[in-house]
Amino acid sequence: MAGLELLSDQGYRVDGRRAGELRKIQARMGVFAQADGSAYIEQGNTKALAVVYGPHEIRGSRSRALPDRALVNCQYSSATFSTGERKRRPHGDRKSCEMGLQLRQTFEAAILTQLHPRSQIDIYVQVLQADGGTYAACVNAATLAVLDAGIPMRDFVCACSAGFVDGTALADLSHVEEAAGGPQLALALLPASGQIALLEMDARLHEDHLEWVLEAAAQAARDVHTLLDRVVRQHVHEASILLGD
Amino acid sequence: MPLIKGMLIERPSFRSYFHSCGVFLSVPNVDLPPLCSSRFRSGPPGEEAQVASQFIADVIENSQIIQKEDLCISSGKLAWVLYCDLICLDYDGNILDACTFALLAALKNVQLPEVSINEETSLAEVNLKKKSFLNIRTHPVATSFAVFDDTLLIVDPTGEEERLATGTLTVVMDEEGRLSCLHKPGGSGLTGAKLQDCMSRAVTRHKEVKTLMDEVIKSMKPK
Repeated sequence: MAGLELLSDQGYRVDGRRAGELRKIQARMGVFAQADGSAYIEQGNTKALAVVYGPHEIRGSRSRALPDRALVNCQYSSATFSTGERKRRPHGDRKSCEMGLQLRQTFEAAILTQLHPRSQIDIYVQVLQADGGTYAACVNAATLAVLDAGIPMRDFVCACSAGFVDGTALADLSHVEEAAGGPQLALALLPASGQIALLEMDARLHEDHLEWVLEAAAQAARDVHTLLDRVVRQHVHEASILLGD
Repeated sequence: MPLIKGMLIERPSFRSYFHSCGVFLSVPNVDLPPLCSSRFRSGPPGEEAQVASQFIADVIENSQIIQKEDLCISSGKLAWVLYCDLICLDYDGNILDACTFALLAALKNVQLPEVSINEETSLAEVNLKKKSFLNIRTHPVATSFAVFDDTLLIVDPTGEEERLATGTLTVVMDEEGRLSCLHKPGGSGLTGAKLQDCMSRAVTRHKEVKTLMDEVIKSMKPK
């Protein structure tokens, strides 16, 4: 039974973590010179890069411009070498389009688009190594990148995945745990208000268990928020030293 | 000495394929996604990406970094195919130099597991515990120049310099001073003497880049 492997009797997971424990997160902001905002995040072995251009004038047809707010354009790309087997199409396939759409919906909820009417904000996310929780890593990286670009947001957007095995809710699933086929939940949270920007669940889960899984994911997202907050403050501190304040 | 601008990440992956001779054994692919610069749009690979991919393919072919025989497992039946995927993350000019450098560094990092053909089943058996490095025969290093008005030559141009240049030139040299590739896609003319200057500059650059790369590879933690 898959459940027996994923969670041992003592409560340890495949990689030695506890049920509610997150993988090690390392993040950096302002990694690229060309972009307006950029960030790099590592969640365990999952590595994601986010780059933000904007707000700038609408590219392509002017008719797409919205008169009262900015257009958010997200593109998700997974490098050909990001998974064990070489991926044929890094972008343009169905999964990438779906991810791009989900990211766009997430960030439209958080970015104060009314402040930039008739303009466009581009968010490009590149996954360099995928080991589970790619949506969460992308959202976290994109949040940092948008902050680096100085685009005003309602709040941080922190995301985490969660699953349910053997009566226990697991937070931050790795690829092995995702591939086992149990229920998985991806949650994007605005921590200060506790509002959910995006919630997506795969596979069957009894409604009684939903609350536990949701709580595990929300707690993990709040932990991610603490970390990202620290990263942002550290970055601002370093930047102000360079400016000579 | 200008630093290599534009960061690249590359990881050759490999597959064993049944094939007969004449099939490509190394498939390079350069990707210039819109995230590296606002110049690029999303969609199918543009002109610049395709030219860069072809350039890398030519460099591999001409400088013979790896020989086809080294990738062969069983002649006429089984050989390795190297997929070289180069993604540009931050574009600030001089993409060809950076691609060649990244390619070389990555090829030096590649470890192929041992494959043996089982006589009874005639299937390949991969031994992941025993890995060996690729046999890199030459070390080609590319040096690019931007030409301004037939007179001024700048080594390792940035994005801004490339945009303003009237022509570009890329020279690929290996350690014995042999020329692998000379890429001068149109643009303003150059005298023979200027070309010679470029070659000697390329030789110096080769030494600098090779020392840097050796240092980095030595400092890498063994897996």
